[in-house]
Amino acid sequence: MSGALAVRDLSVRYETAQGAVHALRHVDIEASPGEVVGIVGESGCGKSTLVTALANLLPANARADGAILYDGVDLAGLDARRQRMLRGDEIALIGQDPMTAFNPVLTIGDQLVDFQHHRRDLGRAEKRARIVAMLGRVGISDAERRMKSYPHELSGGMRQRVAIAAALLTDPGLLIADEPTTALDVTMEAQIIHLLRELRRDYNGIVIVVSHHLGVIAELCDRVYVMYAGEVVEGGDVDAIFHGARHPYTRALLACDPAGFPDRLERLPTIPGSLPSLTVPPTGCVYAPRCERAFAPCGLAEPRPVPLSGSHMARCHAVSA
Amino acid sequence: MSSRAQIQTLPQSRDNALLAVEDLSVTFSRGSLFSRLINPLPLPSFNVVDGVTLSLAEGETLGLVGESGSGKTTLARAILGLMRLAAGRIAFAGSEVRTPADFRAMRRRSAMMFQDPVGSLSPRLRIGTLLTEPAVIQGVPMPDRRAAAKALLALVGLPAAFVDRFPHELSGGQARRVGVARALAMKPRLLLADEPTAGLDVSVQGDVLNLIGELKRELGFAALIVTHNLAVIRHVSDRLAIMYLGRLVETGPTREVFAAPLHPYTATLIRSEPVPDPRRRSFGPAVRGEIPSVFRRPSGCEFHTRCPIAAERCRVDPPAYRAMGAGRMVRCHFPLSQGGQELGVLSGTSRNEKGKST
Repeated sequence: MSGALAVRDLSVRYETAQGAVHALRHVDIEASPGEVVGIVGESGCGKSTLVTALANLLPANARADGAILYDGVDLAGLDARRQRMLRGDEIALIGQDPMTAFNPVLTIGDQLVDFQHHRRDLGRAEKRARIVAMLGRVGISDAERRMKSYPHELSGGMRQRVAIAAALLTDPGLLIADEPTTALDVTMEAQIIHLLRELRRDYNGIVIVVSHHLGVIAELCDRVYVMYAGEVVEGGDVDAIFHGARHPYTRALLACDPAGFPDRLERLPTIPGSLPSLTVPPTGCVYAPRCERAFAPCGLAEPRPVPLSGSHMARCHAVSA
Repeated sequence: MSSRAQIQTLPQSRDNALLAVEDLSVTFSRGSLFSRLINPLPLPSFNVVDGVTLSLAEGETLGLVGESGSGKTTLARAILGLMRLAAGRIAFAGSEVRTPADFRAMRRRSAMMFQDPVGSLSPRLRIGTLLTEPAVIQGVPMPDRRAAAKALLALVGLPAAFVDRFPHELSGGQARRVGVARALAMKPRLLLADEPTAGLDVSVQGDVLNLIGELKRELGFAALIVTHNLAVIRHVSDRLAIMYLGRLVETGPTREVFAAPLHPYTATLIRSEPVPDPRRRSFGPAVRGEIPSVFRRPSGCEFHTRCPIAAERCRVDPPAYRAMGAGRMVRCHFPLSQGGQELGVLSGTSRNEKGKST
């Protein structure tokens, strides 16, 4: 398949002075063009490591095993130069804080021209024309004037729109949005969600949305992977995850979201316990120490992914197809 | 709940209110030191908080909600005297708070949880020192500081060994708990919590809020929770106050405000919250545009630039803040009557009608 992404058995560990931190373990992810894939999990679940691995930006002390196949090519096997080409050209990243994505001493327009440096076939005027068109597409009126502004002159929501425009200018086949709305107010969040959903109509690549916010994932994604302590514990169609979750962690996470309860609760649900150490991951299931349904095999053997209907899968001993 | 009865009798009577704020304004003036020096005329000033009147009964929880830039943090800080008031009166426990000495006395019986839990703890002091510091500053005799710190840690469910830790060794949730313990160290009658769950995971956020709720029942303090998170505030507050550009636009009992918001701004806030259900996706954002700057306050009703039902009158005539039914106040010429359904009709969509499965 052209332009498809397949992450196969990806494990990443960081070598530190205190020993190896197993940040990702045996992660499998599939995405085909035109699809919006959500990665959801709490802090420490490995979302950021997965994003940096996909963008080929892992730090020097990271060791990755497994394969990231994009368009049939294993990204890990490429040399540094071709990786960099791919990053500018095919893979684009939208960060959480749009302020740090831009150089504070250059105007928006100049930076957006620079983002197109790989387009040798275009002149500066053509690049600026593309920028005006793209800024219009992300809902910035008065694009000509905005191109003369500096990043600090824009509001948070406006900067995030510019960051989305910057990412789309490179015509990426893979667009990774890492917590795209976390820094924004709820009204701006709704607007950015709406914008991302509108852009899907004429964008045919893969979008990966990483978020801890279940509402954002439910609004945007077609397929969802739920991560916990470095593992994908459940994956499947967005409807299957939100309406037919099988893994105890997914269920607990959904039950914790106060947005899911219209009536006042005297006590908000929580998940007791804390994340296991990633330096010495527990033998058996990573979620077993906090799991309500843990039984004998959970502490002994690592659960294998159990295929359920369609693309739905859960990594749990208590789940059977 | 013991606080329920008090809420019913509360409306606007300041006699039994723990905290009463009347016409409070905080002013910022714009311009550099240089322009202030060369310019003989006073610089134009801007009301970041403008004419806010609210009251808080003993044991009550009030949620102060608004977007960033609405002045909610400034209001909370002004109430504690951390910012100078331009106008207005504050009464705490029946007596007026006017002089810096009054504010100091008030702060002895009230506490603030700041937005950044780690940043508000000094990085060079151990948790034990940080927890007992308020008592030392207030000159409360304390025979055994370590034991006092351990008792506070036990109160918020942290192990006693934490007395020797430094703030950077704590996780976000643990730092919040230390923040709660530190705020409650002086047994306050009023707790002001600024975004108490910002940056926490959903599974931990419930933990912190449950802790505040339990301690509130146990110790009986009143709380003012400043937040932009509607999903959370609906579960922890008795009453809500919605702020827009430094003014209150709606107040009322939490349940009623959520069930039938009167102000279009409240309705759009509620409708903007993403619902964790792919079968109930929204179509189009509930409100366009961004919050204007207080330095360029729109004429008339300040929400008219974004309001879906703004009429000609809204552009010129600023609406009064008026009572609408029991305990509810609204600042709007055309308050909603059907719980925000009108907005759905106007924009062609309604959240409840768009049940579409994917």
